[in-house]
Amino acid sequence: MNLAVDVAGLRLKNPLLAASGTFGYGVEYEGILDLSLLGGLVTKGLYLEPRDGCPTPRIAETPSGLLNAIGLQGVGVRAFVKDVLPRLAPYDTAVVVNVCGDTVEEYAEVTRIVDDAPGVAAVEINISCPNVKVGGMAFGGDPGMTHAVVAAVRKATRLPVIPKLSPNVADISVFARVAEEAGADALSCINTLLGLAIDVEARRPRLAFGTGGLSGPAIRPIAVRMAWQAARAVRIPVIGVGGIGCAADALEFMLAGCRAVQIGTANFVDPGVYERILAELRDYLHRHGLRDVNAVVGALTFPDDPPPLGVRE
Amino acid sequence: MPANREVPLLARAPQGGPYALLTFRHPEVAHAARAGQYVMIKAGTSPDLPLRRPFSVMTVDPAEESFTIFLKAVGTGSRALADLRPGDRASCLGPLGRPFTPPPEGSEALLVAGGYGIAPFVIFSEELLRLGRSARVFYGGRTAGDLQVRSAFADRGVPLVPATEDGTLGHHGRVTQPLEAYLDAGAASPALYACGPDAMLHAVARLAARRGLPAQVSLDPWMGCGLGTCLGCVVPIQRAEEARPRYRCACTEGPVFDAVTVVWAGEGSSLARRRALEETPA
Repeated sequence: MNLAVDVAGLRLKNPLLAASGTFGYGVEYEGILDLSLLGGLVTKGLYLEPRDGCPTPRIAETPSGLLNAIGLQGVGVRAFVKDVLPRLAPYDTAVVVNVCGDTVEEYAEVTRIVDDAPGVAAVEINISCPNVKVGGMAFGGDPGMTHAVVAAVRKATRLPVIPKLSPNVADISVFARVAEEAGADALSCINTLLGLAIDVEARRPRLAFGTGGLSGPAIRPIAVRMAWQAARAVRIPVIGVGGIGCAADALEFMLAGCRAVQIGTANFVDPGVYERILAELRDYLHRHGLRDVNAVVGALTFPDDPPPLGVRE
Repeated sequence: MPANREVPLLARAPQGGPYALLTFRHPEVAHAARAGQYVMIKAGTSPDLPLRRPFSVMTVDPAEESFTIFLKAVGTGSRALADLRPGDRASCLGPLGRPFTPPPEGSEALLVAGGYGIAPFVIFSEELLRLGRSARVFYGGRTAGDLQVRSAFADRGVPLVPATEDGTLGHHGRVTQPLEAYLDAGAASPALYACGPDAMLHAVARLAARRGLPAQVSLDPWMGCGLGTCLGCVVPIQRAEEARPRYRCACTEGPVFDAVTVVWAGEGSSLARRRALEETPA
């Protein structure tokens, strides 16, 4: 039974990756799970310099969701390359580095440092973080800026380039196409949805930053819809992400056209999630008489005409 | 090394009101947990939210390969745990976090607890007795019903001084008042340990700084993962060698911190304040 998938020139041993911001730098899970179980892992977003991130409180639970404003606290790309990357080398898994920047030039500079480092499989571009005052979603919410960042990163590396798109836009297919034109090899869809949770007693936001990004099962139908729209709009592969906790959730994205998926918030709930999803995935393929997980990619059928994609032609 | 397991509930002992003692089978926690460490646990095995919740390990039983937590049912996560019946399963990662460091020989450990903050001091007093240190518990709450598991200390011969804000048990007032009185009476080289609400921890930290006493506090911010990856539970910490505070994960670098390094809301760390005082020309 084949679980391997090809994404952006990468061969992943299975379609499950850990999503950026929910898996640290991977090494935190040493001894708790076998990192070689994962098709790949995407690191916490990295800037050139270390960042403190947002004030606290930073996370709040909402119905079936997690609202966060962490603000990309991190060690900086140089410390990652020097101290963390060598520790990931023993594991048979694709290491994807999530790159951030306050400016287009910073994205390119971080990418050049990553490009020089051994053991990196691909670069994911964070143009969709809702919890920083510059960069992040400000880039991913503007087609011109999206093009500029993706093109600059494309020029800075020979590695596959995977922009992570923001759902906080009216029509994600526009951004999917812009990213493809700018040289992206694949797309990650989606980042968190901008949200606001309020403590009614205190009459204040529950998060210190004010707004935050919503993740978890609450956003899954939105994420599946947007990944489906993006996959229909471009020729490059799409990696689905948003509220996956079991194989059925992952299969929704794959049926909608995603070549691979990322597990996010579920990492916090259960670090053993990969082993379970892989077993469930094998069971699904077996029950459906399939020998290759790729057979489900895009296999969604609509009983009548598909609904409009929302693509502006 | 922590282990992630599905664990059966072995026993459930209601303690009155929202309180209960829950015992789960988990070999790694039972054999390796140190006082001050905790587990991340949730009822059932669903990968969906809510997240697991952190609970201090209250006691371990290596022979039975079990551990016990002291639970106060307050929200969705803790209520679901409170509703478990023996044989039901929970998902549990542990043991986690930095434990209490016992005081040096000849020092008396003063354990200051607020409400369910009493839990880690049961296993800690066992450790202290094994090491031949003397321990004394100062236990505060709103009302007598909040002062649970007192017999655990009586059984071990550890003196316990209760304090309630409504005067229904022990000292009428804050728990730091009998603590101060005890210190004033000339306790022999005391070391303070505190676990409870933030305001109480802050009061103990201030008191320790004023008297130049060592103090360790167990912080309890909202934790998402227990492994330092969600970065939700960070607290500002400033160590002696550092020029400014840094956010550190309470889940992995704590929950126990040296009180002098904690930057409390609304003021700097006592270390920074002391340094500022030293740097101010007389």
